[in-house]
Amino acid sequence: MSDRYSFSLTTFSPSGKLVQIEYALNAVAQGVTSIGIKATNGVVIATEKKVPSFLVDDSTMEKVSLICGNIGMVYSGMGPDARVLVDKARKSAQEYKKVYHEEPPTAMLVKEVATVMQEYTQSGGVRPFGVSLLIAGFDDTGPSLYQVDPSGSYWAWKASAIGKNMINAKTFLEKRYSSTMEIEDAVHNAILTLKEGFEGQMTESTIEIGIAQLEEITTKEGKKEKVGRFRKLTPSEIRDYLANIA
Amino acid sequence: MEYNGSAIIAMKGKNCVAIAADRRFGVQALTLSTDFKKVFQMNERVFIGLPGLATDVQTLYERFRFKTNMYKLREEREITPSTFARMVSSTLYEKRFGPYFCEPVIAGLEKDGTPYICTMDLLGCITTPADFVVSGTASNQMYGMAESLWEPDLEPEELFETISQSLLNAVDRDAISGWGAVVHVITPERILTRTLKGRMD
Amino acid sequence: MPITHEYQSASPVKAPVEHRFSPYTDNGGTALAVAGEDFCVVAGDTRQSEGYHINSRYQPKVFQLSNGSVLATGGMYADAVTLVKRLEQRLEWYYHQHEKKMSVDALAQMLSVILYHKRFFPYYVWNTLGGIDGNGKGCVFSYDPVGNYEKHHWNCTGSAGHLIQPFLDNQIGFKHMQGIQRRFLTPEEVVRIVKDSFTSATERDIYTGDYVEIFIVTAGGIDVQRVPLKRD
Repeated sequence: MSDRYSFSLTTFSPSGKLVQIEYALNAVAQGVTSIGIKATNGVVIATEKKVPSFLVDDSTMEKVSLICGNIGMVYSGMGPDARVLVDKARKSAQEYKKVYHEEPPTAMLVKEVATVMQEYTQSGGVRPFGVSLLIAGFDDTGPSLYQVDPSGSYWAWKASAIGKNMINAKTFLEKRYSSTMEIEDAVHNAILTLKEGFEGQMTESTIEIGIAQLEEITTKEGKKEKVGRFRKLTPSEIRDYLANIA
Repeated sequence: MEYNGSAIIAMKGKNCVAIAADRRFGVQALTLSTDFKKVFQMNERVFIGLPGLATDVQTLYERFRFKTNMYKLREEREITPSTFARMVSSTLYEKRFGPYFCEPVIAGLEKDGTPYICTMDLLGCITTPADFVVSGTASNQMYGMAESLWEPDLEPEELFETISQSLLNAVDRDAISGWGAVVHVITPERILTRTLKGRMD
Repeated sequence: MPITHEYQSASPVKAPVEHRFSPYTDNGGTALAVAGEDFCVVAGDTRQSEGYHINSRYQPKVFQLSNGSVLATGGMYADAVTLVKRLEQRLEWYYHQHEKKMSVDALAQMLSVILYHKRFFPYYVWNTLGGIDGNGKGCVFSYDPVGNYEKHHWNCTGSAGHLIQPFLDNQIGFKHMQGIQRRFLTPEEVVRIVKDSFTSATERDIYTGDYVEIFIVTAGGIDVQRVPLKRD
C-alpha cells in the first residue's frame, strides 16, 4: 500500500517550487553563521562554536572538518546532516585518490558533494540536507572557495557567508573585501565579520578557523615541494589573531 | 605475452621523451600483419604503448580512451602522464585475479614540461626509472641495447636515433617482434612521428 | 557388522620421500667472441654463481688452449673444466703425433665430435671458440651442448647473451647503420665495445659481473686484460 506512494518527499508544488528545499534553506538560516574568504594566496573558512549548555565540553566539538590533504569544509544548519556529508565527502576524496594517487581538485570534490545533495532532493524516502556548506581548497588552479546549498546548487565565491547572520555578514564582507588581500588579512577579516552579530564572548574556544594554502613538504625522495594543504588553526593561533583585533 | 609478440621502449631526453614500438601482429610464429598499432596518443602530451595480448591491447586502449575523455570532460583539463599512469595502474589492478595480459609503457610531458616515463606489470605495479623503460617479448634485447646506447640529456633528434637503434637491433634478435617500427618524439613544441622500415623476417 | 573407520590410513607404509639427484647445474656468466681481420677477441666475466648465490668473484671460464686458441665456456663449470682437460689432452696427442699444433678449424671440428659423443649425457656447456685460422684470419665458432656449431664473425652466449648480441650486431656488424663504410674494426675498437657490452650487461644481469677477462689473440700471441665490473 505505502510503496505505491513512496515518491520523493521533495515534490513540485503547482507553482513550480520545491518547498522542501525552501524549508531546508530555512533550517540553514537558523544555523550558526559561517564565513569564507578567498585571498590571493589561500582561503579561510570560519565559524562560531555554539554549545547548548556550558556543561558541554566544547573542546570536542568540531564544525570545520578536514576532507582530504588540501580541502576542508564548514557548515551552517543541522549538525547531524553535515556529518553525513563530511563522511561522504571524505569517502569520495579517498576514492579519487585511489584511482589517481593524488588529492582531488577542489572543484571535483565540490561537484561530488553537490551531486549527493541533489540526489536527496529527488530520491524516494529521503529529505534534503538541512545544511549549506562552505568548501575551501587549494589545488593546481590555486585557492578556491565554494558554497553548496541543500538543492545541490553550488557557486565559487570570493567571499561568502551562510547561516543566521548571512545577510549582515555578506554586506560587511562586500565592504571589507579586497582582491589583493593575503591570507593573514583574510583571517583577520573573517574574525571581524563573525564578530558582527556575535553573541557573547569571542574566544579561541568559541570560534573555529580553517585555512587552505601552500605549504612546504618533504617528499619521499627527500625533495622539498610546495603543495596545497588545508589545516585548522590551533587555539593558540586563534588567540593571537583575537589579541590583534582587540 | 608470447602469443602475439611485441616490443615497446620509451626514453627520456632533454626536455623531451620518445616512445617506440614494433608493428608486427602475429599468432605465435605466424605473422598476420605488419602495420599493427601498439602505441596510442591519449592527448597532446601523453602516449601509451601496450605490448602483450593483442585483444587486450585494443580493449585497454578503448577503455583508456573512454576514461581520458571522461576525465577531460569532468575535470576540464588534460590528464598529465603521471596521473594517467596511476589511472592505468588502478584499471589493471581492478582485474587482479583475471588480469589483462599487457605490460604498458607510458611516456609524456608533465604540465611544466618535465619528461615522464614509466612501465608497469600486468597487475599495475608502476616503475619510473630516470633513463628508459622497455616492455614486450624483446625486452632483454632492448635492455642490452638501451643500457649501452642511452645517455643523459639527449636532444630530440639524438633521442630519436638512440631509441630507433635500440629497438631495431633488439627486434632483429627476437623472432616474434619487429617487421618495421614507429617512433614518436614528444617535445613541448611538437610531436615527431616517424615510421621506420626494418627487416621483414 | 564391523565398524569401519572411514579416515583410517589404508596402508601402514609411509609415503616415500623422493630424493632426486640432478647431475646438472647452471653457473651463469656470459662470454663473447669477435673475429677481426687478423685477430680475434674472446672475453668472459669471472663471476661463478648458483641460483642467487655467488660461488666466486674470480673463477675464469675462458681458457687459453695450447694450440693458441681461446675457448670461452658457459653453463656448468664442472663440465667445462672436464671438457677443457680432454681438449688439452687431445691437443697434446695431436702435437706428438703430427709434430705440429692443431689448427683452430681442426679443433673446432674435433670439439663438435667430442660433444656429440656424449649426445645422450651431454656436457652442459655452451662453448665459444676463438682464434686465428690457417689463413691468418680471425675466426669464431659457437656450440650448443651437443656439438652443433657454426662459424661467426661475432657471437655472445650465456646469461646476458640476449642483451649483448643485438649490441654486437649493431656496433660490429653495423646493422641498421646507413651512410657508413662497413669495415673491419681495429683490436682497440673491439676491446672498447667488449668493455661497454659487459658494463651494460652487468647493470641488468645478476649472473654477470665482478671482472671481465679479455683475450686478444693475434699472430704474435695472446694478450690478456682484466677489467673490473660492478660487484653487486
